[in-house]
Amino acid sequence: MLEKVGKSLMSIKLLRKVFNWGRAWSLWSVHLETGCCGPEDMARACARFDTERFGTLPFPTLRECDLIFVTGFVTKKMAKRLKIVYEQMPEPKYVIAIGHCAISGGLWWDSYSVVQGVDEIIPVDVYVPGCPPRPEAWIQGIRMLQEKIAKEGVKKK
Amino acid sequence: MSVMKLSIGPQHPISAHFRFLLDVDGDVVLKLEPDIGYTHRGIEKLAEKRTYLQNLPVIERVNSYCDSAGTMLGYLEAIEEVMGLKVPERAKYLRVIAAELNRIASHLYAASLFSVATGLETMLMWTINDRELILDLLERLTGQRITYTYQTIGGVRFDMPDGFKEEALKRLDYLEKRTEDYYKMLLWNHTFQIRARKVGILKPSDAIKLGIVGPNLRASGVRADVRKDEPYEVYDKFDFSIPTGKNGDSYDRLEVRFKEVEQSIQILRQAIKDIPKGPIKKWTQPIVPQGEAYTRVEAARGEFGYYLVSDGTMKPYRLKITPPSFRNLIALPHLCRNVPLGDIPIIYISLDLIPMDVDR
Amino acid sequence: MTDKSTEELVVDSVKAKFPEDVIDAKVQRKNRVSISVRGNKIYDIGLFLRDELGFDHIASVSGIDYIDAKEFEVIYYVWSMDKKVLVGLRTKIPRDNPTLKSLVDVWEGGLYHEREIWEMFGIKFEGHPNLSLLLLPEDWDGPPPLRKDFVLPETHQERLEEKIKKLSGG
Repeated sequence: MLEKVGKSLMSIKLLRKVFNWGRAWSLWSVHLETGCCGPEDMARACARFDTERFGTLPFPTLRECDLIFVTGFVTKKMAKRLKIVYEQMPEPKYVIAIGHCAISGGLWWDSYSVVQGVDEIIPVDVYVPGCPPRPEAWIQGIRMLQEKIAKEGVKKK
Repeated sequence: MSVMKLSIGPQHPISAHFRFLLDVDGDVVLKLEPDIGYTHRGIEKLAEKRTYLQNLPVIERVNSYCDSAGTMLGYLEAIEEVMGLKVPERAKYLRVIAAELNRIASHLYAASLFSVATGLETMLMWTINDRELILDLLERLTGQRITYTYQTIGGVRFDMPDGFKEEALKRLDYLEKRTEDYYKMLLWNHTFQIRARKVGILKPSDAIKLGIVGPNLRASGVRADVRKDEPYEVYDKFDFSIPTGKNGDSYDRLEVRFKEVEQSIQILRQAIKDIPKGPIKKWTQPIVPQGEAYTRVEAARGEFGYYLVSDGTMKPYRLKITPPSFRNLIALPHLCRNVPLGDIPIIYISLDLIPMDVDR
Repeated sequence: MTDKSTEELVVDSVKAKFPEDVIDAKVQRKNRVSISVRGNKIYDIGLFLRDELGFDHIASVSGIDYIDAKEFEVIYYVWSMDKKVLVGLRTKIPRDNPTLKSLVDVWEGGLYHEREIWEMFGIKFEGHPNLSLLLLPEDWDGPPPLRKDFVLPETHQERLEEKIKKLSGG
């Protein structure tokens, strides 16, 4: 019954716009680094580039986050943990793949222990290329995700 | 006494790409076993499949976290030793400039993680901001912020641009004044001293026995540095000292890093003033004859060992990389015995272990 | 009559103490000495280097696969703080049954180094406290990766075809 009320409320365009705006401007990201794009993660969160003004705050508890930055290559050992982390996050959740290695294996295309692109494991929303991408490119990736959220309807799961 | 097994996994604000398996009794940690391999890419196997030139970006990403320039030097020295190649003087000075700038950036990164582990978040912002000034200089010199591929076989790829010398000297003066601020705000801070003094004391005899390297070894009082023991590039032309600590605790490990930043500033000033004119690269085809070489260089975290076996073809037969964090890893279970649980992050971060270094 | 360098003195002491077991001992260059020994005597020579000559700081342990000669070579690199010399203590073992006595009692810092060589080459170190997987994923069931007969995909096309098959549910 409540679900029906919720769905009918979300079909009102104005309310949906407000919800999507709230969701897009407060994306809390998980503290998980998988590869060598990691120091750019620190750099973009600190004072010079400051992505916190877009609402992305690194938050320690998994259960209250809704964004994973997959920073760099993912090895087979880390892939299991990444899947567990992704499944423990509540809906709605988003994934941004950072760097060539997360998109398709990159420099490690023939390695015996690197997953060739993180979209083999979890679905990805935005791809940010670079090796590593500059913090300005991260910010563009976050902005693209925000625009994508603004256009979406009710997430069916 | 009831022992609980705890696992601090790769998804954790403090543990980077490691997992720790702890045996805990109440609040006291009895034993710690590190679980590594979350960033293993098999670089040694990949190096056997690529030619010497194709290996340059691969070897650099052994530790692209903050020390690419120091990592590359050892590989290039090994190739140049087997080939008998002489690098031009100007290229050696430029290599040293890139390596020392990287050392400062790396130590500031280590200080930032340490300050966030003790709860001093303002210092995180200060250190990362100052690191940005150094990364700007490196970007002016090489074109990239953290993974440069600047040094190559026979020299370096680009020359120093116009205006680099003045800008660098200005920023180094600013950094030197800033180091005094760091002493007052971070190292002599009462909260920091309570959390870091007498925590994780590593005795000098243990450090030598376990094979510890880098600032961790020097903080225990052992004066060992590859730049003075076996000078490579042009380090024998500069006037600098090797700082050591007294007690070997976590506080000393951070203080030695700040003192090394001051020494790096001295080296950089001398290098920028004395750099000679000349070519920057001796271009030859890297045809490496049969032979082998073991070279050691001093990166920011300690000594990198490269063992190269070449069989006369275009690809290495065997390249063995011994990173400093792999050698320092054994200090972690050694120090984390019968300590309170709250000391584990401090000990781990003061050792400055980079998981990508450990796993290659 | 010139004095002998530190490296030459090290070579002479080892040769004098173990005349039959040292196959070859020489000075490679400044600060580098290479000593090649028989596998069953490496423990005693290691103890001699550590206790009598002061080589107590282990730098690296490396393995090489000489597939044509059907043998492995294991090299222990140890450094002396006073002498400033790096000694490479090397031995060759047969490829089809590679075992060696572990030197963890001599140089405690070699714990993780030997474990990695076991994992990457399949060389068993007798007496090592914990020979288990260190860097590879827990469910690794292939051969030891650094052996020369373990071959990586040659072209990107092979890798792409694997990925397309996996993504389309093949």
